[in-house]
Amino acid sequence: MISYKKIFDKAAQEGLEALELYVSENSNFSFSLFRGELDSYSISDSASVEARGISDGKIGYATSEKFDSTTPEYLVSHIKQNAALTSSDDPGLIFRGSEKYRRKNVFSKKLHEAGPDEKIRLMKDFYSAVTKKSEKIQEVEISYEESEEAVTLTNSYGLKLSSKVNYAVVFAQAVATDETGETKSGMVFRILSDLADFDAEETASKLVDDTIRQFGSGPCDSGKYKCVFAGNAFASLLAPFLRNLSSDEVQKNSSLLAGKLGEKVTSSRLTVFEKPLEKNMSFRYFDDEGVATSNKTLIRNGVLQTYLYNLTTAAKENRESTGNGYKAGGSAIGVGLRNVFVKPGSLSEEGLFEKAGSGVYITSVSGLHAGMNAQSGNFSLIAQGFMIRDGKLAEPLSLITAAGNLFDMFNQITAVGNNVEVRMNGFYTPSVLVKKISISGK
Amino acid sequence: MITKSTAIEVLNEALATGADFAEIYLEEDDQTTIRMDNGKVESCDDKLTRGAGIRLLKDLRSVYGYTNNITRAGLLRLAKDLSASFDGKRLLTVDSITKVRQGKKHLPKIKYSEFPREELIGMLKSSSDACLAYDKKIVRCEISFAYNYKTVEIFNSTGKQFGDVHSRGRYIVTATARDEKGIETFHSRPGAQKGMEFFLEEVDMNEEAKNAAKSAITLLGAKECPSGKMTVIIGNGFGGVIFHEACGHSLEASSVSKGLSVFSGKKGEKIASDIVSAVDDGTIEGAWGSGNIDDEGNPTARNMLITNGVLTSYLVDSFNGRRMNEPGNGACRRESYKYEPTSRMSNTFILNGKSTPEEIIANTEYGLYAKDMGGGSVNPATGEFNFAVNEGYIVENGKISYPVKGATLIGSGKEVLLNIDMVGNDLLRAQGMCGAASGSIPADVGEPTIRVQNMTVGGRGGTVK
Repeated sequence: MISYKKIFDKAAQEGLEALELYVSENSNFSFSLFRGELDSYSISDSASVEARGISDGKIGYATSEKFDSTTPEYLVSHIKQNAALTSSDDPGLIFRGSEKYRRKNVFSKKLHEAGPDEKIRLMKDFYSAVTKKSEKIQEVEISYEESEEAVTLTNSYGLKLSSKVNYAVVFAQAVATDETGETKSGMVFRILSDLADFDAEETASKLVDDTIRQFGSGPCDSGKYKCVFAGNAFASLLAPFLRNLSSDEVQKNSSLLAGKLGEKVTSSRLTVFEKPLEKNMSFRYFDDEGVATSNKTLIRNGVLQTYLYNLTTAAKENRESTGNGYKAGGSAIGVGLRNVFVKPGSLSEEGLFEKAGSGVYITSVSGLHAGMNAQSGNFSLIAQGFMIRDGKLAEPLSLITAAGNLFDMFNQITAVGNNVEVRMNGFYTPSVLVKKISISGK
Repeated sequence: MITKSTAIEVLNEALATGADFAEIYLEEDDQTTIRMDNGKVESCDDKLTRGAGIRLLKDLRSVYGYTNNITRAGLLRLAKDLSASFDGKRLLTVDSITKVRQGKKHLPKIKYSEFPREELIGMLKSSSDACLAYDKKIVRCEISFAYNYKTVEIFNSTGKQFGDVHSRGRYIVTATARDEKGIETFHSRPGAQKGMEFFLEEVDMNEEAKNAAKSAITLLGAKECPSGKMTVIIGNGFGGVIFHEACGHSLEASSVSKGLSVFSGKKGEKIASDIVSAVDDGTIEGAWGSGNIDDEGNPTARNMLITNGVLTSYLVDSFNGRRMNEPGNGACRRESYKYEPTSRMSNTFILNGKSTPEEIIANTEYGLYAKDMGGGSVNPATGEFNFAVNEGYIVENGKISYPVKGATLIGSGKEVLLNIDMVGNDLLRAQGMCGAASGSIPADVGEPTIRVQNMTVGGRGGTVK
């Protein structure tokens, strides 16, 4: 790998006031099955060092995946050059360390030690389970992707933190065709830290049921409906809503939640936590600036409890970072979240349908990168789901859009379910009932 | 990045257990990103990525791996690890490597690395000022300017060596407008596979920034778009995302070859209205999605996808082509060495028709004019797509009447292509990043102004009857 010392020595020699190295080392193992046979197989390892340094009070960045004798010179000279070009009023900050860190071991030895043959066998069993469920299933694609991610953050003040996680994601897609030639597709994913957690039968049933039950789907009449969002669909709306808690957005005039601290910003049914210290694949005891993370309440019974800060935005308000400084595509530090939990309510999902009486049940929304504007809160997204009639699920829906405004919609949550779905990016959300959503269909 | 003799050694190591094809893809990419917020440089970031991907094929199986360690020892280890997933006897040996000569059409005239950064930052600042000065309601202007210089080398077991260079630059400006009623944002994002000359001669960043501000202000005053089935006029340029999503992805061999696409087995059949012809062209000089070769070494091509409504070609990479009995047609791409390459689009667009855009609007009694589109997505199995309208207007009695916001267009690729009833003569391409199995890659979308009958529009402004 790489000698940190040589880079720190070079930085000192070139007069940098401080230097931080953020080193990521990843290895991946993945394969996919098509028609039950192995069709692709992949192994990889990669590493990068992202360096941030202070030169004349300003911060500069450089990243390298090339590790040889030229690396220290490359990093340090680019940091100096880039710092000189920066004109931001924000102070450049490298962190000296938090008083206390809550380290936990989340690395699964069992997963690491299991051989590839065992993993392939498990997925082949899963494939058989899927094809046995229904004759309508035409094609099944299954992929297994295992990652090990190690991060080391070290700086010239002597701080050194590291964390290592591993997990596997099983992803399957099924395509089914019925007697009339109609085609439907469904997908399912599972996150594992131990192969023993994978229930092939249960996952196969979920995949096949979700695919088959879409047959005969079509749009409903356009109009306003009561709406139950399944946990995953709700998470798709919650994530952009929470972006407005970023102190950076607030300070830069781009958040409609600015000035709302301690005020009611959502329905009182809603309580949201961030739990970076929860032991799972998104666990991290330090953020990307080295600040200790902590579990916290973001919204309690609809009342906004805190904005999220990194070192820079905190310094502007003369307060402490909340440990939410994360890199956002590049070396620069933005504001981010890990492990969002919504407090479950008392009704089951069936209870929510009953409470709605009539309306729509949205199982998934897509097109978020285009159809969602987190700042204005306006969204218009393609959706899939079912009609709710007489308090029960009725015919399947497709080719509809669900449109609304996040800030209005979060105030119109009338019930929160007691079921919780896990989303790939660390959201743990129950289903919710919303008073009114615009559905466009026929 | 490596010598021919190392390449031969690594390929032979990879072939030891019976693979029928082996390939080494090496890449070094020097990237720079400058971010500006309200005229201040927030960050300047340089990133040097370097690595290699090794791919082995045996019949219908592929094996892929990558590493940053591109020393002889590192590559041999990776080749050995990968070959362990086959257990046959060696089928072939590579004795020599010949370098394939090809054109160098897309080289920058003014290299970004040789253009003074201070001067570039001055230009960004001036565009930021133009954006903020446009109107008091513009409260924020964010700019990102990113460029790279990427060198690629490919060696494969047919004894060939290929090389290419890609240098791209892109300017993205986001204007935020705010009034007592709400916040709206609008982006403009021109880019090209050219050097700094593109921003000196072809694109005026100040104009781009002012236009973004103007559109954000328009959105502040826009009504919510009504919903329902209506006639939709889709503007030229980024409007071509409709074709990209509704049809392009479903023509990629990765889904076609496995019967996972709505267009599987449809070659020679009519899939679009007679007035629609469309192409994927990776050869256009300096275009965002072009290359001299694709990412497995085949020369890029101009592939006619649809000719007068009839499906004439798929986008094929050589691996998925094995299932289809078709050779690769220059459409195999990847984001970087970290991705196994597969069939992808390059610059994909609908060709010019006969109507003028004015005629199309004048002939529309009531409908939505989607002047600028956001991105979208598609499910290749069902062909169902969705995309967002960034800037839209209601057309009444043949005239543009008032601006609307919050519209989404949805439909299925099969239907929308057949429902195109007018095609304009004002073809324009626009730049996007396309995400799929082999990563996020630069791709142009494009079209002239087109009109689609009976499209589903989602919005919150009541129902159209």
